[in-house]
Parts: sequence; C-alpha cells; structure tokens
Amino acid sequence: MKLWCSSLSFEMWAEKYRPKTLDVIVDQKEIVERLKSFVKSRNVPHCVFAGPPGTGKTTAALCLARDLYGAGYREHIMELNASDERGINVVRETVKTFARVRSIGEISFKIMILDEADNMTSDAQQALRRTMERYTETCRFILIANYSGKIIEPIQSRCAPFRFTYLPREEHDRHLRMIAEEESLNLLDEGLDAIFEVCSGDLRRAINTLQAAASLDKPVDADVVYSIAGRAHPADVRKMIETAMGGNFLEARKQLRDMIQKYGVAGSDIIRQIHTEIFRSAIPEPWKIKLVAVAGEIDYRLVEGADEEVQLSALLARLVEAGNELR
Amino acid sequence: MYVAWTVKHKPRSLKDVVGNREAIRRFVDWVKSWEGGIPKKRAVLLYGPPGVGKTVTVEALANDLDMEFVEKNASDYRTEDAIKRFAGLASQYGSLFGGKRIILLDELDGLTGTADRGGVRATIEVVKTAQCPVVLIANNAYNPRFRTLRNYCLLIEFKKPSAGDVMRHLKRVCLGEGIQAEEDALKFIAQRSGGDVRSAVNDLQALAQGKRLLTYEDVSWLSYRDRQESIFTVLKMILYSKTCEGARRAVNMADVDLDMLFQWVYENAPAHLTDPHDLANAMDALSMADLYRGRIRRTQDWSFMRYIIDFMTAGVAMARVNTKASGWIPFKFPQRIRMLSRSKAERAIQLSIGYKIKRKCHVSAVSASKEVLPYLRIIFKNNADMAAGLAKWLDLDEKMIEYLAENKKKAKAIIQLAE
Repeated sequence: MKLWCSSLSFEMWAEKYRPKTLDVIVDQKEIVERLKSFVKSRNVPHCVFAGPPGTGKTTAALCLARDLYGAGYREHIMELNASDERGINVVRETVKTFARVRSIGEISFKIMILDEADNMTSDAQQALRRTMERYTETCRFILIANYSGKIIEPIQSRCAPFRFTYLPREEHDRHLRMIAEEESLNLLDEGLDAIFEVCSGDLRRAINTLQAAASLDKPVDADVVYSIAGRAHPADVRKMIETAMGGNFLEARKQLRDMIQKYGVAGSDIIRQIHTEIFRSAIPEPWKIKLVAVAGEIDYRLVEGADEEVQLSALLARLVEAGNELR
Repeated sequence: MYVAWTVKHKPRSLKDVVGNREAIRRFVDWVKSWEGGIPKKRAVLLYGPPGVGKTVTVEALANDLDMEFVEKNASDYRTEDAIKRFAGLASQYGSLFGGKRIILLDELDGLTGTADRGGVRATIEVVKTAQCPVVLIANNAYNPRFRTLRNYCLLIEFKKPSAGDVMRHLKRVCLGEGIQAEEDALKFIAQRSGGDVRSAVNDLQALAQGKRLLTYEDVSWLSYRDRQESIFTVLKMILYSKTCEGARRAVNMADVDLDMLFQWVYENAPAHLTDPHDLANAMDALSMADLYRGRIRRTQDWSFMRYIIDFMTAGVAMARVNTKASGWIPFKFPQRIRMLSRSKAERAIQLSIGYKIKRKCHVSAVSASKEVLPYLRIIFKNNADMAAGLAKWLDLDEKMIEYLAENKKKAKAIIQLAE
C-alpha cells in the first residue's frame, strides 16, 4: 500500500487545489487583470460572474476577497447559495442583515457572494435589486450564474459583467498534471486526453474525475477515465443523436431528460457536443449548416435564460427531420 | 387483453363488500323476508353516491343466496315493449328452473327528460304488482320525479365507505394481482378517492398494472391529475385545431395555469404530430414560447405573454401539415412534473450529503448532490482508505456512508478506518 493511502488526510481535490489568490489564476487573463485592479484601488463594484460550470467563477470571487481583506477575509464576506435557499425571504432577511452592518477595518464594505444566482426567482431578484441599491455603501454583491440571461435586466445594469469561458486545453492539462504530481498519481497522456473529452474544460468535473480515477489505484489511462465518466454521468450525446436521427424522437427526448435531470449535465455542454457531432456524422451536407444555425440559435437562447430541455428538444426534432432525409 | 380490475376483482360475496354494513344488513333482511310471503314494500331503493357498492351489493347477494339475477339499466326499458317484457319477468317469484329471482333496475337517474316520464310510471306499475324482489338503484332518491315511486319502496341509503374500508378493498385487489404495495401508497389512493371505491380501483390499475411493487412515489403525483378531464379537451383543441383562433381559444378553457398547460402540450405534441417535418415545427413553436417565458422573467414585462400563448397553441396547431389524425392516442401526464415527485427518499439522503459537501466545497447542496456525489460514490466503492478520509473531512454520518458505499459491510470498514 502506498504511503499516502494510510495517512487518511483526504480532501476533495477540487477544494484542496483551488487557487487561493488571484496571482495563481493563470487563465481568464482579462478577468483576473480587472479584478486585480479592484484590489489595487480598494474598491469593488457589484459584479456578475457568468459562465459555464467549472470555469473558476467561485474561485475568482474567493480569491478577490482574500486578496482584498487578507487572511481574515472570512469575516468580511458571506456566501449564499441561491439553489439551496432561493426564496424571497432569504433575500429579505439574510441579505439585509448582512448588508446593512458596516464592516470594521480599512475597507468599509463587505462582499456578498451569491452563487447560482440564476436560480433565484424573479421576485427574489427584485427584492435583491432594492437591497443592492440601498446598501451599496456597506455591501457589494458578486452574483455568480451559469446563464447571465436568467438575471433580471435591472440587476445586470447595476453590475460589472464578467464572462467566464471554458479553460483552454493547455491550462486544463497544466492544472491536472500539477495535481497528479502532488498526489503521486500516474496520469497517462491518453488519460488526460480522455478527461478533456468527457469534461470538456469543466475543471471541477475534471478534477473530480481524476480523484475518482485515483481511487482505483492504477495508472489513469483512457479506459479508466471513460469508465469513471460513464458511471458518474451516463450521458451519451452521440447515442442521443443517433436515436433522434433514427426517427425515435420520444426516446431521444427521454435520454435528454435523464442527462439534464438525473445526471445534472449542463445544457451548454450538451449543445457543444452536438455541435461537434454534427460535422462528424452522416447527415446530408446541406443539412449540416442548417443544424448549426439551429444549434447556434439555441445556444444563444440558453445564455439568454431559456429552458434547457425545451430548447434542446427542439434541436432534437430538427435532427429527426434531417434523419428522415437520409432514409 | 385489457380487463378492468373493477370487473375482475368485483366482490363475489357480501363478505367481500367493504363498508355500509348496516345498509347491507337491512337489505339482506328485506330480501329474506320474501321467504315468508310478499312484504309490504315490494321494492327497495338503494341510493347513494357513485362507486360506493350499490350494484355490487345486489350482485353479491344474488350470488350468496343463489338467486337468479336479472339486471336492466333504466335506459333499456324506456319503450313500452321492454316494460311489458320486464313486467312479465317480475310477475313470478320463482323462475322456470325453480330458483328464486331478483330483479335489478339500475341507474334510475338516467330517466330524465319528458320522453322518459313514461319510464318512471311504468316502473311504478311493475313495483306495485311485483311477485319477486325488485331492487332499484339511484344516486339521488329525492329527485322530485321519484316522489310517487318512493312510496312503494323501502329506502336504504349507501354512504361513502371510509378510507380504511377502501384500502381494505385495494389490498384485496393487490393480493389478487400479486402486487406488493406500500401501505402509504394505498392510503393515498384511498383518501383521494373520497369513498368512491370504483375510481380508487381504476386509479390503482392505472398506476400498478404490470408492476410488482407499488411505492408512494409512484402515486403521489396523482394529485395533479384531478383536472385531467378538462385538460384533455383543451389539448385536443390545441393539437387538432385547423385555425389559429380555435387553438388560441383553448387557453381560456384550461383550468390549469399556463406553465402547466405548456408542460402538457410539450409532453403530448410529439405523439400527435408524428411527421418529422410537423414535429420539428411544433417543437420549434414550443421553443419560441419558452423563449418568451424567459424574456418575461428577465424584463418583467408581462405583455409578452400573448406571444407565449400564440406559439404554444396556434404555433403547435399550424405545425400539422402532413400528419393525419389517426385513431385514438392517449394523452400522457407531463413526465417532467412527475419526475419532480419521484424518489423523494433518495433525493433526501442525496441532499443531506450535498449539504455536507457544501460546507467544504463552495457549491450549492443541490448541485453538489448532482455533480460531486457521483464521484464520491465511485470512490466509496473502490477505495476504503480514501473514502474514510473523505468521510472524516466531510463529516458524513453512518447512513450517508452506507448510501455512498451501497453496501453495509463496506460501509462498516470505512467507518472503522475513519475512527
């Protein structure tokens, strides 16, 4: 048995290797530069961090706070998760109580990090908007969302927008290699390729996959990664496309539903994979570009805040139509 | 082949009929009183709400006492001819073959309208001269139309059986079908039926047919179903209307809210618009409706509502170009809403683990339970050491560890390592 196995000091690696300061975040360069300028000027506006899961939104917010307030930053911030308590009362009570008390110390405002803010009801968002205005002096808000479109216009117009994008391949690889080295884990190149393919740049998922792979106690190759991914997220976009092209819309929609509801796959992930598959598959050539147009439109609508399943099933129906041309 | 369970599991004997013990006793006494000659009242009027066992009681009694059972629905004996034939049947106590005879006139309430007035009058004539027990059944005995008729009848009221009685019957049906049902599931169906045993059995069949096990989760979504009848009509209007206006009007008829109606249309449109081209256009219209839903949420401008309505009704209706209406396609309850009520217990434990993860990992409990938990499960199954470390770090309790490891022995080993 390896030494580190008996030490029993395990954490979730995604947490253990989360960057602690803005300097360590190497990707999302423009965003990090702007955030650093906030630290320098000792002032932070209300912000919206929007972007797909696992791209460093929460990390950036926590780093900003730590750089701003120093080691005791926890006393100056509050993290609230809209998915867990999205009601209007939470905004009224928790947020207000936190927001109205002035912070003691060099910096006169506190920071409220509202994660998954796109899951707040619009009533709660309206209430939030008033709170934001009223307590601007004492509290700044960082709203974190997958889709900024699900945040009401009046709030967006009061916030500095930041758009996070998927990690570029090199950054993704660098980060995972670093972790593998620290954990003395044998991560093969093909394993790394496979992780990128199944997690497509979602770093949190990539690290979770790596840790689960490590639990198998053998070199991490492509097979190991695929088996982990298959068990954690049995989402097979290719199979869904084939089902739709074969003409069975209802079954394809059921697969879509399972992906979204049971396994929590993000709609933006699914559409990206569909986009890749469109050019790989045996769809009539003129149809390919037609489908890309539909995919693009739907991708945009998701960012705007439309319903993932309804929108994607419209795309599936187009695939059924395209498949019909083939037969 | 489809056999209704209400028929298949109909009580064959009075001892299997649930509820209304007192009413049944009075009824049996009256029938038995014919042994000693014609009683003062030659007919009995059993009345009460639908599905409480009036007809079933008569059938079971005839079976128990081995009587010849003659049944007519009110609508069958409207014509004079039929009444005469019927009067003939009632004129003898014993049948040709020596057995005793009992006659049932069911659904007396069906005699409405002026044309049927003769029916009630003829019935009175039959009762007056009856030589064998005549049983009349109605929902409402106090219909003014039955005023005279009432004088010739012994009135026995059937009341709604208690939920416990209904449950007893459901259990018997489950036993007959070889279905294991959770107590809570049957209780839910029974309570919802409001004493209507027939509808309870129908519900049970709809939910449990083909299953070995019926859980509470399987039935809890039923509460959404109460207004199904009217929603079907509305859906039909939307999916089969030839004009935009006709489809749009459906919205005013629906007594569910717009979101719910959207889910119904979204669930059912594909099965009714099977041509690929039509299907794609219908789904496109629904995606447009959804788009405006998002736009309202964002801008809080509710005047956009009209576009939602247009797309989800007229937009879907106009998608029908190539698909021919073919036969009867059943409407399905929206799966998305059904999924929400499923596996409550499992989601509870997942969420409790999610909250533990949340405390350490800056994610919401909800997304932790979807995104992090699957990986934990793999770890807990494969590597007790790593699992023990994580269990300690996350401060998981025994139940959570057991859930993640999916195996009691493994869970024990992990807990030991963690200590």
